[in-house]
Amino acid sequence: MANIELDDLEVRLGGRVVLDGLRGSLHGKAIGLLGPNGSGKSTLINTLLGFHPATRGTARVFGHDIRRDSNAIRAVAGYMPESDAFISDMTGIRFVRYMAELAGVPPEQALERAHEAFFYVGLGEVRYRKIGTYSLGMKQMAKLAQAIAHGPKFLILDEPTNGLDPMARQRMIQLVRDVRDAGDITLLVSSHLLRDVEETCDEVLILKAGRIAGICNLAEERRSNRKFLEMETVGAIEDFASSMREMGCECACYSNGRIKIVMPENVEIKDMYAVAARRAVQIRRMNHRRDSLEDIFLNAMEGKSMTGASHGSL
Amino acid sequence: MAVYKRSYKPYVGPLTALRERWLVITRFSLATAFSSRISIVLFVLCLVPPLVGALLIYVANNEVVKAAMNLQGANTKQIVSNQFYVIFLEIQSWLALFLTAWIGPATIAPDLSNNALPLFLSRPLSRAEYIAGKVLVLAGVLSAVTWVPLLFLFFLQSQLSQTPWFAAHWFVGTGIFLGSWLWIAVLALAALAVSSWVKWRIVATGATIAILMVPAGFGGVINGVMRTHWGFLLNVPYLMTLIWTDLLRVELPLQAQELPVWMAWAAMVATAALALFLLTRRIQARQVVRG
Repeated sequence: MANIELDDLEVRLGGRVVLDGLRGSLHGKAIGLLGPNGSGKSTLINTLLGFHPATRGTARVFGHDIRRDSNAIRAVAGYMPESDAFISDMTGIRFVRYMAELAGVPPEQALERAHEAFFYVGLGEVRYRKIGTYSLGMKQMAKLAQAIAHGPKFLILDEPTNGLDPMARQRMIQLVRDVRDAGDITLLVSSHLLRDVEETCDEVLILKAGRIAGICNLAEERRSNRKFLEMETVGAIEDFASSMREMGCECACYSNGRIKIVMPENVEIKDMYAVAARRAVQIRRMNHRRDSLEDIFLNAMEGKSMTGASHGSL
Repeated sequence: MAVYKRSYKPYVGPLTALRERWLVITRFSLATAFSSRISIVLFVLCLVPPLVGALLIYVANNEVVKAAMNLQGANTKQIVSNQFYVIFLEIQSWLALFLTAWIGPATIAPDLSNNALPLFLSRPLSRAEYIAGKVLVLAGVLSAVTWVPLLFLFFLQSQLSQTPWFAAHWFVGTGIFLGSWLWIAVLALAALAVSSWVKWRIVATGATIAILMVPAGFGGVINGVMRTHWGFLLNVPYLMTLIWTDLLRVELPLQAQELPVWMAWAAMVATAALALFLLTRRIQARQVVRG
């Protein structure tokens, strides 16, 4: 069973289509949600939590339908929203305890868990201060504390590193990894920072203008560890690519003479030079590279189809 | 997960029942409301009139005390009449209004001003349960200063009276209960609606009183200019007096008999419904973007 299943999900807000017929299954333990501003990342999160009703289709989290079992989803969810979300007059510890109790943890255990969560996120010393007096970084950590205090099975982090300095960002990423590796928990991390997603997630859902631009299994991608040649050329690039394909290479051509080539074991660089000479193609620049999430993301943004690791690599 | 270990461990302990979780909101909100000394002082002041009422009932029914105070000749038994309860109902209702104006703004505004609502509603908790949890705070506090002490006075009189008072005045008890709950519903919903729209406490306190008083003044102007009595429909204190006097079977002065009682009930229910509508408009996890 997929952790998240999107089944023709459409959401309209104020008459505007914000999510447009999303379809796909996400099986990852840590799922990254990528996309430019306004692509529908936060709306998708809000819809999974039942804040926005689906106007068509549906989605399932751990098999629970968002239309029918919204409460069942929220019962296992922990949510760290993107924007500020706290009660400024409350002390940190009281706030986290309050949220843990609302999630069903009995009062005594909730207090204990609140203390533990505060120490875990590194705010142990300030837990009796009012949240309104916290710095931006502290507020981010307090939001994480309230999201994990009740031990959710589905943790949603919306832009967790927003407004954090490099040190605090590193700490946040480490905490998210720890939580991911701690046990039976699935993460949904929404971020516009590719590096954050790359460092914490094993699967990525890329949204563009309310539609799925790509789903990529990063774990498989890392395992395949395929290197490729990235070149800038001048000349008959398509002819050159077709000749390379005849030799068993995988090629992808881009604008401005850019070309990516994955060469099999039996093909060497000098063979490629020979083909280039034959086709009168000048190679101006050449790099050995491995596909990064940035490439995958940019491909998705350029509209190249991508629904698996193999498709996502070039 | 012990604090010194600083590693994440999932929670594996017991969970509370789903249907009880909204009461957590009531418990925390009540504690927050009474974290201010002013709230405690106001609450205690609200209990002074019932104490005075209890003293009056005791004196009216105790020949020894009356003799000691040289009151045998006075018709003290007439003091504890239906009118007596209407007066105390009005006193307590005004005090309840001031208490609500102080406590009400601290209930929802803090959750909204820093966008904490998504955190509440991302738990297995509906908007209705959230509102119910908040309403229960005010309903509990206002009950403690309205129908609870007044019913105590009612039963005290029933107990101390040497004539069969309870059987002849049962409607006073039901009137106190029904009339108080109507007032509590209107006050609580109006205060929560104000709290959800106005985030500054002092402004919200003023607004809670103003939304009941300003329309009354406007209604008076309508009555004066249009030479009508429909303006009373905007006068909440007038409408409540009309309802209480009807419930407790007290004669109204002639000028106060210009509106049928059912209309007063309808106007009060409409006020509560409007407040509930405004409240539910604000209690959303996310603002819907139009356009």
